[in-house]
Amino acid sequence: MYLRKFRKFACSALALGIMTGVANAQTTVDFTVAEYSSKTGPFFDEVAAAFEKENPDIDINIEVVPWDTLLQRLTTDIAGGVAPDISIIGTRWLLDFAQQGIAEPLDSYLTPEFKSTFIDTFMQPSVIDGQIMGLPVAASARAMLVNMDLFEKAGATPPTTWEELYEAAKKISALPEIYALGLQGKEIETDAYFYYALWTFGGNILNEDGTSGLDSPEAIEAARFYKKMLDEGLTQPSPTNYSRENVFNLFKQGRVGMIFTFPMLIPQIKAEAPDLDYKVMPFPEKVTKATYGVTDTLMMFADSDVKAEAWKFIEFAYKDEWRSKFDRGEGFLPVTKNVAAEDYYKTNEDIAGFAAGLPYAKFAPTIANWEEIADVTVRALQRIYLEQETPEAALTAAAAEINEIRGK
Amino acid sequence: MPSKLKKSLIYWAFLSPLVVVILFPFAVMLVTAVRPRDELFVYPPRWGFSEFRWDNFAEMWVKTNFGEALFNSLYVSVLSTVLALVLSIPAAYALSRYPFPGKGAYRTFLLMTQMMSPIVLVLGLFRLMVALGMVGNLNSLVLTYAAFNMAFTIWMLQSYFSTIPRDLEEAAWIDGASHLNSLIRIFLPLAVPAMAVTAIFSFINGWNEFVLALTMIRSSDDFTLPVQIYSQVAGRYQVEWHHVMAGTVLATVPVAIVFSWLQKYLIRGMALGAVK
Amino acid sequence: MKSLNGFKPLAMILPGLLLAMFIIGYPVLDLANTSLQEVSRFGQLRGFTGFDNFAEVFSDPLFWGSLKRTAIWTVTVVLGTLVISLPIAIILNDDFYGRGVARVIIMLPWAISLTMTAVVWRWALNGRAGLLNATLMDMGIMTEPIEWLAEAQLAFTVEMMIGILVSIPFTTTIFLGGLSSLPQDSYEASMVDGATRWDQFRYITLPLMKPFINIAIVLNVIYVFNSLPIIWVMTEGGPANGTDILVTYLYKLAFRFGQLGKASAISLIMFGVLLLFTVIYVVLVMRDEKDTAAGEDE
Repeated sequence: MYLRKFRKFACSALALGIMTGVANAQTTVDFTVAEYSSKTGPFFDEVAAAFEKENPDIDINIEVVPWDTLLQRLTTDIAGGVAPDISIIGTRWLLDFAQQGIAEPLDSYLTPEFKSTFIDTFMQPSVIDGQIMGLPVAASARAMLVNMDLFEKAGATPPTTWEELYEAAKKISALPEIYALGLQGKEIETDAYFYYALWTFGGNILNEDGTSGLDSPEAIEAARFYKKMLDEGLTQPSPTNYSRENVFNLFKQGRVGMIFTFPMLIPQIKAEAPDLDYKVMPFPEKVTKATYGVTDTLMMFADSDVKAEAWKFIEFAYKDEWRSKFDRGEGFLPVTKNVAAEDYYKTNEDIAGFAAGLPYAKFAPTIANWEEIADVTVRALQRIYLEQETPEAALTAAAAEINEIRGK
Repeated sequence: MPSKLKKSLIYWAFLSPLVVVILFPFAVMLVTAVRPRDELFVYPPRWGFSEFRWDNFAEMWVKTNFGEALFNSLYVSVLSTVLALVLSIPAAYALSRYPFPGKGAYRTFLLMTQMMSPIVLVLGLFRLMVALGMVGNLNSLVLTYAAFNMAFTIWMLQSYFSTIPRDLEEAAWIDGASHLNSLIRIFLPLAVPAMAVTAIFSFINGWNEFVLALTMIRSSDDFTLPVQIYSQVAGRYQVEWHHVMAGTVLATVPVAIVFSWLQKYLIRGMALGAVK
Repeated sequence: MKSLNGFKPLAMILPGLLLAMFIIGYPVLDLANTSLQEVSRFGQLRGFTGFDNFAEVFSDPLFWGSLKRTAIWTVTVVLGTLVISLPIAIILNDDFYGRGVARVIIMLPWAISLTMTAVVWRWALNGRAGLLNATLMDMGIMTEPIEWLAEAQLAFTVEMMIGILVSIPFTTTIFLGGLSSLPQDSYEASMVDGATRWDQFRYITLPLMKPFINIAIVLNVIYVFNSLPIIWVMTEGGPANGTDILVTYLYKLAFRFGQLGKASAISLIMFGVLLLFTVIYVVLVMRDEKDTAAGEDE
């Protein structure tokens, strides 16, 4: 291994001139991959190797980047003029990429057959101004996880409405050292934890006219509900010290009755808390049913010189066998119809529980400056949880700030 | 009671709070690194565990491609240290021995280069490396680390060199030795402790640097240790904490050993007129 | 002094100077250029806008809040480090049983990258799953777990303490160097005069250590002021921006919100602040040291 490396360094200096001649015969496609788990890198290496075998003239260069640093990496790459040819991105960033002319519209590449392999719900978020700017590459829908042991011990039944949740919560939190609801209050997706309530209470992230929906009566009511749960000791104390991972860890420890989560947590629970008796449930309702659908997008860069080769690889990577392996390995919901039709997704109770929400799933709006808007929302929620401001004051201020960012 | 024993007890009593605080995270790392995965999230959290799993290290080694990252880190840290020293020694010698125009400006320039954090400059550095065609190449890190460390190494070396008596070299010239010759034969051997110290500083900076390594290095085959370990944590849906901690332990141990081995040098080097 | 042509020393500093100018100078110019331009979401330059970016920074309340916290952070960490490191260095400089072990332990935080230190502390500080609370409760020091990072004030305090902890090895090393170079005869003379240990410290050690303390202050201010990993990993500047300092705010602006023009302006302002500090410090404090080191300014 090390020898190879030494040779590489030696060669790169020596053979620079000669190499360029060779490089011309081979086309290299740079592919930036977000790292979902330790399986991600090896999986894409395998796909690339299989592809290169069929297409010896194309070289796929996989670059695996940790999720938290993906946006920074792409920003520096683009600013430095060395963007990759294709990349996995969070769909919430797609509009920024599209508006700046960095994403390549894919309509002219997509054959009708290829297009029809995708599930429409997941294709929709990638459509901007009528053009398809990317392909869904990973999808998840959120759901509630309940700890059945705790419910049994407390004599409560898993809730289907927020009122039932509140009643059950009172019973569960009566158990010693147990909290009823895990409440996230820190870092990535703190806002999502609030949207679950926002939507089911009948609110929306954006109003029809594009202004922020955070100051709507529904939003304020939803925030008040979370705050009431917190005040009455029905959630774990100090949510602002709990990131997504921390809340899930409480659940793995069997310390919390209910959490809102994604399907990727299931394999972790199986490995780290094999004895936990859990059940996947839809989100409680108030006015309407809702879940949060999240997709990641495969985007092609407009500046790429090797679009044809890149596209060839994309089509290859979307073959059923690869998609199936990827989705199962990472614990995602399938984005293509053929994989979704596999028995696994019907017979596996956990996955089916998450997939059940898809017909009424809501997606984060594709708008510019999404990260900044999410950050404003998170800070408002933190001020509420810390009792620095009332839900009404915090959300009204946040809505005003968001409207200013959006220029509304 | 002998006074040395008494003194030692008092000293250790004074040091103990700090020692505890310093060792605490290392203890956390160690007990997390060797426990089975299903004991990561027990409640209440406890130090003990059912079985001592050395396998965690082996699994981690394979899974995170640790060996290669270790090699990359060594490559970058050693070469950047060598480069920084090779460039710093003549510069420090010039500063300590000769007057020359612009000397004051040069010193100010050195201090100013210390003030720029790589984080602040990361975009510009990246554009530079793109222009040089060195993105994704470990040597880009060698160059940047050396450049950022040089201010410190030159400074340390020059104040050390100033304490070496000039007579020794001058005596050699009279004997007919060439300037360069006297530098290599007489002067440099005397400067070894200072060079050891600056080398350690430079090495540690390279060993631990994170932001630039993350930005410049493309392929995960070329990741350095901090990036490799951080990528096990950052934004993953599944963080395998026992592997993360095992990786951290393994990345720390070599430096800790080097420390205890070289610490006499370290302090002597600092002592002999290091910073004035 | 031997007469030498001025060319030789210049030739000796030139290679290093070129590398530094090239690697550090170019990005600084790039930064200055960027700060005066309108910059796209992904760092493409879109034409000059004068000082718009600076105006935007100065009208941003989060900038002023971060500036204030940066001052608190820097002053507290640097002072705390000095106050702890000096007695430690004095102890480690003395001869006692187990000194070798003590020296290695004090140096240990240096052996591990800041990012990983912060990751481990974050993991240990977790309110209900962390080993710190569990240990303190087992020992009966407290009955209820404390959520160390939930509120800005406590979180910031904890972060500053960790900041101090990781700065101690470097500072202690500098002090140890200073201490072991102190002339022993002045101590012996003072013993004859019947001076107490405190007198010795006050009138001999401290004045002689002054140049080392000055260096420790300048370097630590520079490092601490620019230090990202501890705060970033532990709280990302939250909750509600309560632990944001300039570097974390800048990182967020640049790489999360894509406001690279504004971020460049902040970088330059930060550089200006540090430069100002150093110049003032050098003029006020180090000058009256009557620096006798070889090679005074021309």
